[in-house]
Amino acid sequence: MKTIILIGIVALATPALAGSQGRPTLAFRGDAGFVWVRSDSAAAGTAGAARLRGPVLGGEGRLVFSGLAVGLGLSSGTLQTADQAVKRDLIEGRLVVSARPLPWLEMSLGPFVRAYITDSITERWVFWQARARVDAPIVTASLTSYVELWRALSSQVNLVAGAGRVQGGEAGIVYRPPQRPFSLRLAYRMDDAAVGSGGSGSETLEAISVSVIVGGR
Amino acid sequence: MARASLVLALSLLLCGARLLPAQSASDLLGQGVRAYQALEYDAAAALLERSLRPDSTARLADSLRARALTYLAATELFRGQRDSAVAAFRQLVLLNPRYRPDELVFPPQVTNLFQEVRRATKAVAVVVPPVTTVRTRLDPFKARLLTSSLADLSVMLEREDGTPVRELYSGPVADTLVLSWDGLTAAGAPAENGRYILRVTPRAQTADGPRARRVVLEVKQEPPDTLAWPPPPPFLPERTSTGPAFRSLAAGLVAGAAAVALPSIMAPGKDASGARFAVGATVGVAGFVGFFARKPRPLEANVRANASQRDAWKKKLDAVRAENATRLRTMRLVVRAGPETIAERGSE
Repeated sequence: MKTIILIGIVALATPALAGSQGRPTLAFRGDAGFVWVRSDSAAAGTAGAARLRGPVLGGEGRLVFSGLAVGLGLSSGTLQTADQAVKRDLIEGRLVVSARPLPWLEMSLGPFVRAYITDSITERWVFWQARARVDAPIVTASLTSYVELWRALSSQVNLVAGAGRVQGGEAGIVYRPPQRPFSLRLAYRMDDAAVGSGGSGSETLEAISVSVIVGGR
Repeated sequence: MARASLVLALSLLLCGARLLPAQSASDLLGQGVRAYQALEYDAAAALLERSLRPDSTARLADSLRARALTYLAATELFRGQRDSAVAAFRQLVLLNPRYRPDELVFPPQVTNLFQEVRRATKAVAVVVPPVTTVRTRLDPFKARLLTSSLADLSVMLEREDGTPVRELYSGPVADTLVLSWDGLTAAGAPAENGRYILRVTPRAQTADGPRARRVVLEVKQEPPDTLAWPPPPPFLPERTSTGPAFRSLAAGLVAGAAAVALPSIMAPGKDASGARFAVGATVGVAGFVGFFARKPRPLEANVRANASQRDAWKKKLDAVRAENATRLRTMRLVVRAGPETIAERGSE
């Protein structure tokens, strides 16, 4: 399966690389955030509903072409309940191929992996995301707001109930200081993953993050 | 052949009948002159009188009438009809105050009598060209006043209803006076379209004074071509538009509202942290910042550029305005003159 996915991604990326004009550029993003997870399912390491939270660090690298980009991102953090009785490590990774059919619209596609890891078990979600992002400049080339929505085209989870509908969204603002090679981003994200098709429960992830983006513009 | 001859004869007869009256007036004059030269004064008088009859189909031209009257007066003088001679000369003076019998043709007793009559007959005539194109202030309308002797005259241009338009002359005229009218009214405006009367009247009414004369003038304006106003230059906007400011505000408010509403949209019924409000408020405030940063403000560079363009445009406008004013001041008038007539006593 992984091989097929990798082939698919390379197949998507190759024409973009071949057809791109000009030199591709690299962009990197470093994220620092705080995550809240609310689980109504018998998620890994918990019995029944659980509320976890904790800081997360992450980053993403992007190869940007004219109108196309291929990105690889990773984030990780440790979540725990308020009484610190339960701990989980959260690891998320994603590969994304994106294109801009319009200057203000970015469409992207790619696999996303999320894992909640405890000492005894790992709950792993894998889904293919289709994302749409709308950029709206507030102050031209300096301050831009954006809203991004996504939905999983297919999802898998190693829970007995299986994966149901998975969707999410993100809204935020990007500030590009003039004459500086970096940008700052503030974002709020919320993902909701239903467990099972009959409403057996869900896992909701909220995150607020501050990011520094270098290059790529 | 006989029929053809008949048609030809009838045609010649008809043509001859049509030409006969035209020829007869001048022929009568020629025959009268020849009779005078042959000292056949009775025949000459009869022929000349016939040539001067007003019912003649082909009335003699003024120059030929003057010639006929001169020969008639001389004939009557030599016939011993002095009163008739005086009457003929009087008609001659009234016809053309400046006419003089040729002293090489007529003996002194004839010319002396003419001078006597001329001095006694106060006459004035107005000679105007049938059509004159007047350019106001530049090319005037001209008329000649002819008097048989010194006369004190007033020349007035009036509307057809008698409204005075302009006095063209007032004073003595000894022999000839050339009048000029620049096409303007007393107020300095070009004469409007319409009929005008050029009236020549003696300033003092006397029994033996000259009769007033009038000439109808038909005036038609021909407006000059004026220059079109120069189009305004494409001015640059002097203030930024309000659109970007409101788009910035909308971008911030919509994205902020989306951040706040994300849990309700993506995970309805689930609890969410207050983090969304922090992000939503930040994005919303950014929208207001963008609104105030992009609110309409003067574009100084455009204001300066427009000012120089506006000045150049105004200079062009002033130049066109001045040129048009000049052209309008020199409007063309076409003046068509009617025949000179004697004014009625009541209108003098």
